[in-house]
Amino acid sequence: MHPNMSFEQAPPISVPYRFFVTAPWFGVAAGLVLAGLGPDALISRWAPGALAATHLLVTGFMLQAMCGALLQFVPVAAGGNVWRPRILAGFVHPLLAVAATLLAAAFLNAAAALFVAAATIFAVTLGGYVIVVGLALRQTPAKGPTLMALRLALMGLAVTAALGVTLAWGLGNGRSLPLIEITMVHAAWGLGGWALMLVMGVSYFVVPMFQLTPSYPARVAWSLPLAMVAILVLWSWQLTGSVAGWQKAVLVAGILLAAVFAATTLVLQGRRRRKVTDPTLIFFRIAMVALLLAAASSVWFALDGDAGSDARAAIWLGMLVVPGVFVAVITGMLYKILPFLNWLHLQRLGGSGVLPPNMRDMIPESAMLGQLRLYAVALVALLAAVPLPVLTRPAGVLFAASCAWIGVNLAGGVRAYLRFRDKIPANLAAQKS
Amino acid sequence: MPGVTVIDGRDLQPPEPLERALEALDLLADGDELVLLLYCQPQPLFKVLRTNGFAWQETVLDDGTHEIRIRKA
Repeated sequence: MHPNMSFEQAPPISVPYRFFVTAPWFGVAAGLVLAGLGPDALISRWAPGALAATHLLVTGFMLQAMCGALLQFVPVAAGGNVWRPRILAGFVHPLLAVAATLLAAAFLNAAAALFVAAATIFAVTLGGYVIVVGLALRQTPAKGPTLMALRLALMGLAVTAALGVTLAWGLGNGRSLPLIEITMVHAAWGLGGWALMLVMGVSYFVVPMFQLTPSYPARVAWSLPLAMVAILVLWSWQLTGSVAGWQKAVLVAGILLAAVFAATTLVLQGRRRRKVTDPTLIFFRIAMVALLLAAASSVWFALDGDAGSDARAAIWLGMLVVPGVFVAVITGMLYKILPFLNWLHLQRLGGSGVLPPNMRDMIPESAMLGQLRLYAVALVALLAAVPLPVLTRPAGVLFAASCAWIGVNLAGGVRAYLRFRDKIPANLAAQKS
Repeated sequence: MPGVTVIDGRDLQPPEPLERALEALDLLADGDELVLLLYCQPQPLFKVLRTNGFAWQETVLDDGTHEIRIRKA
């Protein structure tokens, strides 16, 4: 059984949609950076091209989609009242887009002023977002592992942003900071404490609901987020200046926790009550398999010193986790959430008099499946480009094209909503006459 | 004799249960009953019922199924 939905508190549809339709175009930009720079972009995780492409994905694609989804999810699934969501979205959405663009430009040009500008905008925007959404999550009477994971995810976003802003300010002002240690902690909180935590909280709710699976076992659902935070706190110990030998074990423990989530999700999907396979399910499965592969690779890199110290090891993990796990899971969720929100809002507008069109008509399944195939090819090409850098340019082009197709599909879904919405008054009038 | 229509939405993907319920409500005659079986509380449906003059009774069964019995008020 999944928790109840309090749809009456849903924000205007324009609030999440502005984030959703923007997100994929940052994926296009990331692909074009790889295509433009070629093999140089993937020499190491510290290469300007790698940092720019990574941040276009995490602060552009992922942050846009996740911040927009939370504004919809917190009121509807967790019963939290977000203060003035339209004003908040009007402020957060454009500023995040500007900050992500400036940050990528700062990495590509090593431009101090752009680092400072990006850091300042992120600090103000994410600070405001965390406070407003945090208040909504604090005041809700709801209970359960989803709510706990959402609260921890928001805390993870705050830690990630604080460390990221510190790094960018440090780079902009030429301050002497322990850049590598802060970066390691920043990346762990961003990927584990914010992104994966949010995916877990949302999955506890939407996987049983949309994929008709049994619920996540309560013990797993409660313990994974708490254990993840404990691991991240231990991992953050390196900020005190002492890098202990046990920290490698902490990192492996953290990624094994993520693997438990992935394995649990795959087992539940195998036990779904109706064996319907749709693009969302396939995207989810790709993401969970990529997460398991990342976990296996991490264990290998920890055990095999030569492999672990190769500069390509971090790039390989990054490819698996960012385009492999998060781009897939977010795309899959957007393909389910957008048609569902279209349907619910149209149903509300039309009342019982005008039935909205079938949810499957919002984004054609053939378009989603076509994009899924292109994404799969792009992901394989990106992974192959790690040992074979000559493939970086074609992989970047394929990934950019795949993300552009997501953008086209989502924009088509929004157009379908507008088309049906505009017909409702005429249909209602015809019924009355 | 009043008719009873049963919609088992427990194995249907949202919003299919709601779609089917709305279609059945259109055909519901005075005195007839629509029984909806779900694993959740359908808040969007409750709003439709409230604004369109339907009465309903909800029972949560031991296996977590919400049984919602709907009639014209």
